[in-house]
Amino acid sequence: MNKWLIPAVTAVALLSGCSTVQRGSIPVVDSGTAVSNSERISANGGFRQTTVKRPAQAQTQAIPQGDTGVVVMVPGGAAASAPISTSPIVPGPASGGITPGPYNPSAVESAPISSGSYSMPSTPSGIPSASSGGGLSADEQLDGPVLALLTTAQQQQAGGDLNGASSSLERAQRVAPREPQVLYRLAQVRMAQGDAPQAEQTARRALTMANGRPDLQASLWELIAQAREKQGDSAGATQARQKAKVSL
Amino acid sequence: MGWALKLSLVGLVVLAGFAVYLDAVVQEKFSGKRWTIPAKVYARPLELFVGQKLSKDDFLTELDALGYRREAVSNGPGAAAVNGNTVDLNTRGFQFYEGLEKPQPVRVRFSGDYVAELSATNGSKLSVVRLEPLMIGGIYPKNLEDRILIKLDQVPPYLLETLVAVEDRDFYSHWGVSPKSIARAVWVNTSGGKMTQGGSTLTQQLVKNFYLTNERSLTRKLTEAMMAMLLELHYDKKEILEAYLNEVFVGQDGQRAVHGFGLASQFFFAQPLSELKLHQVALLVGMVKGPSYYNPRRNPERALERRNLVLDVLEQQGVASAEQVAAAKKMPLGVTTRGKLADSSFPGFIDLVKRQLREDYRDEDLTEEGLRIFTSFDPILQMKAEASVNDTFKRLSGRKGSDDVEAAMVVTNPETGEVQAMIGSRQASFAGFNRALDAVRPIGSLIKPAVYLTALEKPSQYTLTSWLSDEPLSIKGADGQVWKPQNYDRRSHGTVFLYQGLAHSYNLSTSRLGLAVGVPNVLKTLGRLGVTREFPAFPSMLLGAGGMTPIEVATMYQTLANGGFNTPMRGIRSVLTADGEPLKRYPFQIEQRFDPASIYLIQNAMQRVMREGTGSSVYNVLPRTLTLAGKTGTSNDSRDSWFAGFSQDLLAVVWLGRDDNGKTPFTGATGALQVWTSFMRKADPLPLDMPQPDNVVQAWVDSRTGQGSDANCPGAVQMPYIRGSEPPPGASCAGESPASGESVMDWVKGWMN
Repeated sequence: MNKWLIPAVTAVALLSGCSTVQRGSIPVVDSGTAVSNSERISANGGFRQTTVKRPAQAQTQAIPQGDTGVVVMVPGGAAASAPISTSPIVPGPASGGITPGPYNPSAVESAPISSGSYSMPSTPSGIPSASSGGGLSADEQLDGPVLALLTTAQQQQAGGDLNGASSSLERAQRVAPREPQVLYRLAQVRMAQGDAPQAEQTARRALTMANGRPDLQASLWELIAQAREKQGDSAGATQARQKAKVSL
Repeated sequence: MGWALKLSLVGLVVLAGFAVYLDAVVQEKFSGKRWTIPAKVYARPLELFVGQKLSKDDFLTELDALGYRREAVSNGPGAAAVNGNTVDLNTRGFQFYEGLEKPQPVRVRFSGDYVAELSATNGSKLSVVRLEPLMIGGIYPKNLEDRILIKLDQVPPYLLETLVAVEDRDFYSHWGVSPKSIARAVWVNTSGGKMTQGGSTLTQQLVKNFYLTNERSLTRKLTEAMMAMLLELHYDKKEILEAYLNEVFVGQDGQRAVHGFGLASQFFFAQPLSELKLHQVALLVGMVKGPSYYNPRRNPERALERRNLVLDVLEQQGVASAEQVAAAKKMPLGVTTRGKLADSSFPGFIDLVKRQLREDYRDEDLTEEGLRIFTSFDPILQMKAEASVNDTFKRLSGRKGSDDVEAAMVVTNPETGEVQAMIGSRQASFAGFNRALDAVRPIGSLIKPAVYLTALEKPSQYTLTSWLSDEPLSIKGADGQVWKPQNYDRRSHGTVFLYQGLAHSYNLSTSRLGLAVGVPNVLKTLGRLGVTREFPAFPSMLLGAGGMTPIEVATMYQTLANGGFNTPMRGIRSVLTADGEPLKRYPFQIEQRFDPASIYLIQNAMQRVMREGTGSSVYNVLPRTLTLAGKTGTSNDSRDSWFAGFSQDLLAVVWLGRDDNGKTPFTGATGALQVWTSFMRKADPLPLDMPQPDNVVQAWVDSRTGQGSDANCPGAVQMPYIRGSEPPPGASCAGESPASGESVMDWVKGWMN
């Protein structure tokens, strides 16, 4: 008789207390809420916004301030420089002469059109980019993979997907790391994302690859000018605009 | 009589109550998110495009790792056919951050080590195609189930039929329990006196695994039956079957329990479930009866026998024809060797990923939410790095004490700042102390580029051809201690060109230069190069007394390699949710820290390290056309052997040393550089080619004096200078060559230099 009471009591307990299930009774924990950007933005390891945040670092660094990353420091301002060493130059006994070698010979002959690693000389894969290239001038035409990815990025940007656009551009950057147009587009997207410091830095990097491409240089300087204005550096912006004019 | 009625009434109420409770349990768990899924970590997807540097062998290695089947004709996702230099394949498609990559048939033709042609099978050109990424690990909590969730429409042909035929023939007609099989089970059990025969339907098996413990008792059996019927009441057969496919336990991988056919397919065959063939399906379904007893890796004969038995059942039940079964029986088990999937394969890199993730996510998010982590890891480069370490140690094994030497290596792409490979231990697959991230060791001469760069940023005072004294010196520190550096060969080299002090790693001239520009300024340069660690401004810092980790060294050299632009090291590109929704990106970031001109000069000097200095042994192995830049490093008594260097597209830092900080038989050149050289030979990088900044000029100088010279003078060489700091041009050397030949001579010299 007593034994029958046990399940009865249990049943009552269950009916009263367990209309909702106790978590501990389930072998696998239901993890509940879904992961999302908008939740759990907390200090200790919560999710962050997808938008890029970074410390204000650009300003604090010891980059030569002024108009460009290309600052010439001429000794005493004199055009005709003095000899490097004032003391009579006597090579040390153990010191050999300067060894000639093939150091950067190609740099002097800087190629006018992209010499990026992606273009293989023997097999031209060029897809004509006249119309779809987004208004590129004649000397700025790109070929296959880069063009395709820049086009994708442009579509994403037009559709408001700036993260997707920047992701596609980074993909293009991995395909053609030395193509300044990729970085130019990336800098444009950074501007659109409201990240003027990165826009400027990315454009500066592009400039170091844009030798012999005056149109692109002018566009990059113009972008740098806008980025500087956004950062409240109107003097720097003016200087960049002058550079843009000189480039053209 | 009244008592009995009352009792049965109470019993009925109890039963009803119990049923209500069970119903709540059944629905609660089945309607919500049914499983927690550990985050999955993926390697970079391999991109294919014309002109890409990729050898056919490396491509096939990647396809093998991804579980592509080699067939005569590629005719479905995950198949590849090789014909000479052409590979036809059907990619599988994948959801990436930037969007969906569609599965498609692709033809790739190789020429040399390049992709020469990329087209669809109908011949139309494709501009760029991405393979699906290799999964390289997961973020598991201890003792947890892992699974790859699959949907019913992703299962391969035969799977459902085989499962039903083998485990529960009445599945589509019963209501959760099958009286027929229960009766049979009861008869067998009562006559045998033991509970051995199971009459469980698939629904009951699911209930048992999903809701209940493994206890064997009559009450549990009854609960199971009730829950099975309740489950059938609320959900249709398809949902139950799908849950079963994902819940079923199919094996154990160390501490990780392999659940569901989706993960089982990757675990045993390295293929997505949808691509499995009849013989593979039969094996997986056969294993359900006893995952450990029929483990095809541990008990292959048993597993084969079981598989063929399942195939026989299929023939009897008319699921497959006799010919199909006969053909399937001829197939081998086809399971891959172990460890392709577990996170034990690349512990060094996975460790880096976990650390970066923990800055942004809670542990539960990583182990439960099924996040997809996309990284920059390059499995091909990782294999080559591991092979380089192994080969070099094998080659140097004759050296006394080399057995106790540990190794660490970091490989990055200097143009993007992405980490591509990492070795944290000489046994690369050994998870433990990650020396690439955690071993803080004196960097020795690896610091010297920072000393010389500090000088070269002052072109009015220093150029590559400035004279430096390499005479002995001693200075008294603030604490009264005397610092008296020495050269490695214990000799003085008189007066040397500035670049020679770096190329030959002379300690005396470097110390003098460092003291002249100021130790604090050198440390500032180090900080601008990306080193966040703080060092005291002692003179001994100039020779690398300060300790750094290999990844910190990589950050520092990254800035040198990337034109003076610093990019924070990244191992992760993006994170997607389990549903493929974009969650977070780790974008490319860049910051100019140096004028490119001074970087151009320091790179020139670091190229000379390789051409004529302490790194010159590299060209015993590599062709001289491959321009490289780097620096050796050796700490006191050869306790640390370092090499850090880069090509255009590849940067690698190698450290060798003992965990107990004992002496090693290696200098930077005889140890770490050998690993580095071996790696670069296998990786076959692009030659370093920094565009010449427009404030740099090439000037002809006399190679003996460094004075300006004329191109046609004997001993004239071209050196780069920051504009304005070059020596005044020298006079033309009379009677050297007739005017007509001059241009030709210039051309030849320019080409020579």
